[in-house]
Amino acid sequence: MGTGDAVKNLTIENLAKTYFDPFAGSQVTAIRDISLEVRAGDFVSVVGPSGCGKTTMLNMIAGFLPASSGQIRVDGRPVSGPGPDRGVVFQSFALFPWRTVLDNVAFGPKMRGIPKEKRHAIAREYLELAGLAHAADRYPNELSGGMQQRVGVVRALANEPDVLLMDEPFASVDAQTRMTLQEELTRIWQERRPTVVFITHDVAEAVFLANRVVVLSKGTVLADVPVPLPRPRTWHDLIEDEGFKSLSAQVLQLVRSA
Amino acid sequence: MKAVPAWLRLWSAYVRWTARWPALAAVVPFVPVVVLWAVVAESGIFPRVFFPGPMEVIRSFGKLMYNGILPAYLEDSVVRLAAGTAVGMALGIPIGLLVGLSDRAHKLLWPILLFFQAIGDIAWLPILLIWFGFGLGTMTFVIVYTVLFPIVLNTALGVRSVPLELHRAAQSLGATRARVVWEVVLPGALPNIVTGLRNGLGYGWRALIAAEMIVGTSGIGFLMFDARRAGSVVEIMLGMIVLGILWYIVDSWVLAPIERATGQRWGLVTR
Repeated sequence: MGTGDAVKNLTIENLAKTYFDPFAGSQVTAIRDISLEVRAGDFVSVVGPSGCGKTTMLNMIAGFLPASSGQIRVDGRPVSGPGPDRGVVFQSFALFPWRTVLDNVAFGPKMRGIPKEKRHAIAREYLELAGLAHAADRYPNELSGGMQQRVGVVRALANEPDVLLMDEPFASVDAQTRMTLQEELTRIWQERRPTVVFITHDVAEAVFLANRVVVLSKGTVLADVPVPLPRPRTWHDLIEDEGFKSLSAQVLQLVRSA
Repeated sequence: MKAVPAWLRLWSAYVRWTARWPALAAVVPFVPVVVLWAVVAESGIFPRVFFPGPMEVIRSFGKLMYNGILPAYLEDSVVRLAAGTAVGMALGIPIGLLVGLSDRAHKLLWPILLFFQAIGDIAWLPILLIWFGFGLGTMTFVIVYTVLFPIVLNTALGVRSVPLELHRAAQSLGATRARVVWEVVLPGALPNIVTGLRNGLGYGWRALIAAEMIVGTSGIGFLMFDARRAGSVVEIMLGMIVLGILWYIVDSWVLAPIERATGQRWGLVTR
């Protein structure tokens, strides 16, 4: 994404996060030591058992939480807080209920000072991409969960971030819709090639979407598994695919041993 | 097929008519109340002077409209309430935002707010009468004071009820701190602000009538208290009825449309 040929890497170096739990009266380590490199245009899934620190890591990349030590850099610039270079898709969708779908998607461009007509054109283009053009003038609460999360994804994409951070975005939609959303996401990724860090606890989802699956355990990287499956990917093709099955089994083993 | 009983047909006609003229639905429930009132008044259980019937009140309404006293007093009361509410909102919403957004401001101001909220409107009157005398100063203070607290407390509550994720979403879409307040916190708190306004107006309206009775030189409260001095139960009743009708109008013409256009539209409030 973005312009020019600059390489927009995401680099994580010796990241750690500890915080004081006033109720337990002790220091808690959420992330012990994570180093990770995500190349521009790559799609990396991060899996791990609950409590492994995957959501904490994402919140730190997004700039919502400060690091205790270590560093996160996007395109060479150290992360010091939230910013439009890192788009976030939330599990709870986090759409603005008082804005129409169109104005939700146009929010990022609006913050960049793009005039109304132009930002609406941008928003329409991205809604088109997700097959949502017909819903432009609806309010989020009038849409199904699956539709709302489509809006959540294109709202982040419309701001053309260097990195797209997705925190279990499909965890709260039903199973059929989830498969459709996963297929749509791979299609959009192939079309636009954003850099994606995708947090999930669903191993099949992680393998289906990513070029790489990073397994976290107890606040460190346990394994980094490449996924050389061909694209475009559909569940129809992959559900019986031997390569997909053995990769999923391998990642599942790692997660369960973690 | 069984015949539909007459009362059900009547009911169905009522439903259809009120659907066409919603104002009718607000009037019809009062029909039995007024009939009962008229019957009791006509029966002569109470002396007519103490308990006049609807017709006397309507006649008195006509008289006071004709000589211009009722419109003038009504205007005075409504203008006082509107001005007090405007000032109360202008002060209350920013204070509510501050208390809702800043933990430090919340810690410092919340106990003070609760303390002064407890000293109700009327409890201020003795000291205000000494400070400002029997005039507009006292009246304005009481209304602003009464309107202020519900707005501050509800705004702060609304600000704090905006999900953290919405703050984060706006920030990672490039919104600055000030933009987050304007684009996320204010609209997110709006349903609560309207609730605060509704409570504030309700309390303010009552406080105004009380203040007019004690301080007043005009207004509906003064009209009623003045009528007491003259021993005119008719005018007291008229004043009471005007209060009720006026509140109904404020509610259905001002507050309800705002609520429909904001919280209900956005799905933030389940009806």
